[in-house]
Amino acid sequence: MRGLPGSSPNIICEGGFEVEPKKKGMTLVAKQKAAGWTFLIPASAMIAIMSFFPMVKAFILSLQTGKGANMHFAGFSNYVRMFQDKVFLRSVGNTFIYLAIQVPIMLVLAILLAQLLNNRDLKLRGFFRTCVFLPCATSLVSYALIFRFLFAQDGFVNNVLVGLGILDQGYNFLGNAVSAKIVIIIALVWRWTGYNMVFYLAGLQNIEYSVYEAAKIDGANGWKTFWSITVPLLKPTIIMTFIMSINGTLQLFDESVNLTNGGPANATITMSHHIYNSVFLRSPNFGYGSTMSFFVFVLVAILAFINMKVGDTRD
Amino acid sequence: MLIGAMVASMAACGSNGGSSDSNAAKGDTSAAAEEGGASEGGNTLTVWTWDPAFNIPAIKEAGNIYKADHPDFELKVVETLSEDCETKLITAAESGDLSTLPDICLMQDNSYQKFVSIYPEAFVDLTDSGIDFSQFAAGKLSYSTVDGKNYGVPFDNGAVIGAYRTDILEEAGYTIDDLTDIDWNQFIEIAKVVKEKTGKYMLSGQADSPDMIMEMLQSAGASLFDEDGKPAMVGNDALKECISIYQKMVEEGVYYEVNNWDDYISSITGEQVCGTINGNWITATIMGMEDTSGKWAITNMPKLIETPNATNYSNNGGSSWYITSNCKNQDLAIDFLKSTFAGSVELYENILPTTGAIGAYLPAAQSDAYNQPQEFWSNQPIFAKIVDFSSKTPTNNTSPYYYDGRNAIGTQIQNIMQGADVDSAIADAQSEVEFTMGE
Repeated sequence: MRGLPGSSPNIICEGGFEVEPKKKGMTLVAKQKAAGWTFLIPASAMIAIMSFFPMVKAFILSLQTGKGANMHFAGFSNYVRMFQDKVFLRSVGNTFIYLAIQVPIMLVLAILLAQLLNNRDLKLRGFFRTCVFLPCATSLVSYALIFRFLFAQDGFVNNVLVGLGILDQGYNFLGNAVSAKIVIIIALVWRWTGYNMVFYLAGLQNIEYSVYEAAKIDGANGWKTFWSITVPLLKPTIIMTFIMSINGTLQLFDESVNLTNGGPANATITMSHHIYNSVFLRSPNFGYGSTMSFFVFVLVAILAFINMKVGDTRD
Repeated sequence: MLIGAMVASMAACGSNGGSSDSNAAKGDTSAAAEEGGASEGGNTLTVWTWDPAFNIPAIKEAGNIYKADHPDFELKVVETLSEDCETKLITAAESGDLSTLPDICLMQDNSYQKFVSIYPEAFVDLTDSGIDFSQFAAGKLSYSTVDGKNYGVPFDNGAVIGAYRTDILEEAGYTIDDLTDIDWNQFIEIAKVVKEKTGKYMLSGQADSPDMIMEMLQSAGASLFDEDGKPAMVGNDALKECISIYQKMVEEGVYYEVNNWDDYISSITGEQVCGTINGNWITATIMGMEDTSGKWAITNMPKLIETPNATNYSNNGGSSWYITSNCKNQDLAIDFLKSTFAGSVELYENILPTTGAIGAYLPAAQSDAYNQPQEFWSNQPIFAKIVDFSSKTPTNNTSPYYYDGRNAIGTQIQNIMQGADVDSAIADAQSEVEFTMGE
């Protein structure tokens, strides 16, 4: 203000407004920008070093080929080779089948469960929520092995089915291509539904109760409320869980290895499992392994991008 | 029983998870790269090996024998599964940092060609080290010999045996002699009668495992590869005969296909099968069934009918010790192996009763311990028998792509059993291996 010690005299423009002169050093805006960058730089640097740099190196590696440490540049021959790899193409097909079937089932189940467990009048809500979420806390290897035991020829599921008289003798779930895939899908749904349900619950908490009250007054029943109000308001959460599910399913590994070991004659093998086999179990060609990994990366990026574009409600 | 199985699976996968996670918890005896997993030098040797019923007691006994003459010697054994040993070797060699490797490691015989040719820098050439390789069975030595140089000290004998329950055979009206020196047609006839009279399968095996076929192939000296290491599956009549015998056994209901290793073991211990044909290391599992002592006997495997040079002997598995180039005190390691596995008949005698571990060290076969009748096995001197089998086992062509070939056949067997045409399945297997071979 004018006249106070230590302040520079303010400029009076035409029209009588006081304007503070540009001080030497940083303005408030510049200071805020600097503070912002200071917070961003460590995290960005770490991501650049830990994620982006390896990605670039992996791409360079995918242009090389050779056994062990004897690598030489080979241009895009690895990529050409990859599309001729029958087992790899099979694994892509399998992974997309899981994606197409398991993800919708899981997300629909998760959202329904979230809606049910969001009901304020439900007793033991906390208990039910814990029960549904608990599968995610189990170790991937343990649960895959347990599912393998459950669906074995003389496993629990077969014992129940035979005991109830539905089957005469145990069905070889893991020995048939279709049923092996179904077992994996069941295992995945069991494990990840709770995880997605938690996200939806959090999203539902953010919808004000007054919206529902308004809908009730207008005469909407439960089902209509769900479709016309809850789901649109949950859209950001749905998009996010969809992207995460795509990412997770495309990189599926533990179930393929521990539950079915690639399944009867590569019927359930996933891309990551095939990459692991090619590099660590067969004769190691890390360049080729990198190529396949890069392919998975590109797939995930494309699908996530499409997802975001479709779900973008801005504009 | 289910709960027991679930608990066992939790324990099994606990140790699975432990040994494959190289940053395992401190104090965990499963392989940890930092905690006592790597070579230390001085008077200590660190060894990676698997199987607490078989390999681990053997190496510990070797340690005790060596320590008797060298009081300040220490042996550290880190239990590491076979696949993990190989994965860790690949990881260390690829990164160029061999410092996480131990002094001595055990490796499956069929992996030597692959690993020595790709990562020669990780192995110590033992050819002129003073170890006397002439005391080992030539067929066994050939696995760990690459380009004429020795890289492994042979350990356990993988000779194939047929192990059968004599009480079940008796119920069907047969003795163990009826299964000795026969061919597969006779075997299937006997197996059908056993199934009819006792309801039990004769054999079992994993549906995705080509073990049975590979054993049959090697029994006639045949292989999936030719002398130059190229895949020779298409037009391989021996292979076709093996596949058709396998198919016949499954279709006639005498061979029980299971889905994984645990189911295979439980088919034996759960008495769903009369016996099994596998490498003799399966005796350790069988002898775990203590209440069937005296009701088992072994014999050789049936031979192929149409393929020339067919024998009743084959090989499945077996491993050898190698010294890694990370070993800080190579003289000590060489002297240790020379004095124990390549020099001590006493060692082989000591480990025999506890582990059933049968060496490939020829002088050991002369010892009394090997010729003792074994009560569990109907008083047969099984150890002497097995060493005898191994001396008659034909060698066959191996290749760095051996496991690729095996796996490709294992996959195609499943397709064939689901009805695929045999010739096109074999062609698929060959093209899969050729794909892996062509970079």
